[in-house]
Amino acid sequence: MSSESQTFTEKYDLLGCIQCGRCTGGCPVTVRADLNVRQFVNNAYDEDKLEELSRLAEIWDCTACHTCAVRCPKGLKPLEVLIGLRTIIVESGKVEPTVRDALQSVLLEGNPWEKSRAMRTDWMEGLDVKIAEPGEPVENLFFVCCTIAYDPRVQAVARNIVRLLNKAGVDFAFLPEEESCCGSEVFTIGEEGLFEMLVEDNTEYLNEFKAERIVTLSPHCFTTYKTHYPDLKNPVIHYTQLLDELLEEGKLVWKGELQKKIVFHDPCYLGKQGGIYDEPRRLLKNIPGVELLEFDRSRERSLCCEGGGGKMWVESTSTKERLADVRIRDAKELDADIVAAACPFCVLTLEDAMKNLGYEEEMRVAEIMELLGEFVEA
Amino acid sequence: MKTIVCIKYVPDTSEAEVKVNPDGKTVDNSRFSYDINDADNYAVEESVLIKEDKGGEVDVVSIGPKKSDVMIRMALAKGCDRAKRIEDERIADHDPLMVAKVLAGAIKSEEFDLIMTGCMANDDGHMSTGVALAEEVGVNHASMVKKVEVLDGKVKAHRELEGGLMEVVELELPAVLTIQTGINEPRYAPIRGIRQAQKKELSVAGLDDLSIDPAEVGAEASQVVLENLYIPEVESAAEFIEGEPEEKAEKLASILVKGGLV
Repeated sequence: MSSESQTFTEKYDLLGCIQCGRCTGGCPVTVRADLNVRQFVNNAYDEDKLEELSRLAEIWDCTACHTCAVRCPKGLKPLEVLIGLRTIIVESGKVEPTVRDALQSVLLEGNPWEKSRAMRTDWMEGLDVKIAEPGEPVENLFFVCCTIAYDPRVQAVARNIVRLLNKAGVDFAFLPEEESCCGSEVFTIGEEGLFEMLVEDNTEYLNEFKAERIVTLSPHCFTTYKTHYPDLKNPVIHYTQLLDELLEEGKLVWKGELQKKIVFHDPCYLGKQGGIYDEPRRLLKNIPGVELLEFDRSRERSLCCEGGGGKMWVESTSTKERLADVRIRDAKELDADIVAAACPFCVLTLEDAMKNLGYEEEMRVAEIMELLGEFVEA
Repeated sequence: MKTIVCIKYVPDTSEAEVKVNPDGKTVDNSRFSYDINDADNYAVEESVLIKEDKGGEVDVVSIGPKKSDVMIRMALAKGCDRAKRIEDERIADHDPLMVAKVLAGAIKSEEFDLIMTGCMANDDGHMSTGVALAEEVGVNHASMVKKVEVLDGKVKAHRELEGGLMEVVELELPAVLTIQTGINEPRYAPIRGIRQAQKKELSVAGLDDLSIDPAEVGAEASQVVLENLYIPEVESAAEFIEGEPEEKAEKLASILVKGGLV
């Protein structure tokens, strides 16, 4: 985090920009919204204009997919200029009610879904889960993610992991209900103060545990911990990396066959930001019977589902086709039976798109752990 | 313009299952999240909007536990100037009249133009505290207010009645307004604002500090006795009407007539 005394230009290294336009050229949102990130980087040099820029609705169209950062030849992060402008609005207090409620819920209950902290571990009911205790050694310490903990649609990700790791004899534990949001969406919404507080509190909290590594279920938590938590003692991995290790060691015992064509949708936070492309593919390919397809736009060119960047709480003003709809139509053209993802936001947005397009009968959107839960002995 | 805004810290019961404790008089609150009462949040925003427009000050008064300080700090971050939290277990807080007496006791020494509070609390839903408070402090009041216009020495209050009807009343100041949700869009209290608001005064007082006689606001004084809390039994019955459309319509009409519904 930068200090208060820095100017906006210094903080986002605006003078490092050569205005080549690769950011806007690559931005997936430009096809449906009026967002020109290069222009924002250019106009933000003028500190007197920042207020005015921050009031433009399109700053909320950015999904923080990081395509602009991946493509920037100068290694800048143009999207963070938009986040900086969001911060101006957030600090004035005049945000959308949905954003206000999500941020306030993070502060009061440790999750953006307005759920009680006391309900955070309800998903564990009926499962044999070891709860981590500070100072007690554990190999894999799991961080569950707010969405997976509370949203019944994706709770299976955590429940299946528990069953599968118990069967494979892996040493693991989950955090108790004191676990708080990693702040991924808080950061991209631009609530800088709250994000700084989360980084400080979570670092202190997580460092109390004697774990060899922290395993995250959501790529958003994964990337946020890796990128924004410099003082975290333990390495952080995504669950697909752990399962890939088990696959290698022959610890995943398959049952039955899945005679389906699966296409894997690279979540932006896992791929473009986390650099994880092969592990999820290996897991899917190894399910007996599966034929793994590829989108034309895959890996670092993967099309964003628009679930990140705080977009779960901000509706775009654009009425043009959603990117998730485009993605599902692409999958339909490939004749895929299943669109697999490894991110709760991708699952929710892609499934909505699939229903919106009326493909429920012939297509399925699934988190990788849902499929492994069905085809690995546990 | 000096405004006093009264706010309450309430549990959110919309998600968690509500369970009555074995004593039959309290609710198991271990799984609830707590926050500012919905309508009170709008009252805070309205008081800050008036301050931004007309100048002046806003004081917050709340009866509640220490953990409600976070809610009070948020109100201070939004633009309120100082706060008083009253904590005393002798208050019969199930009775809105007793609550109103305590609030009145806490603000009796203050000069004010307006007192605002939410029109209803999410937890007990009495809709009485604000009105009782007006009586206790001896000023005019308007309830269910959806729009406020501050005039010279007066306030014009638009009251939301049933059936979409609005009633416009003019009140001499000082006055109490109970605020309806939807009057404005409450702002967000950013963390940096909350931190800055740590500098603002938040005093904590008990009944003795406020020179309120506990005998006048305690269970003995209250004429409301909480006898029993229970979850109403869910009763439902569905009857499927079969037949051709005309037949169905006839059967349905006869059921409605028999039930005295038409």
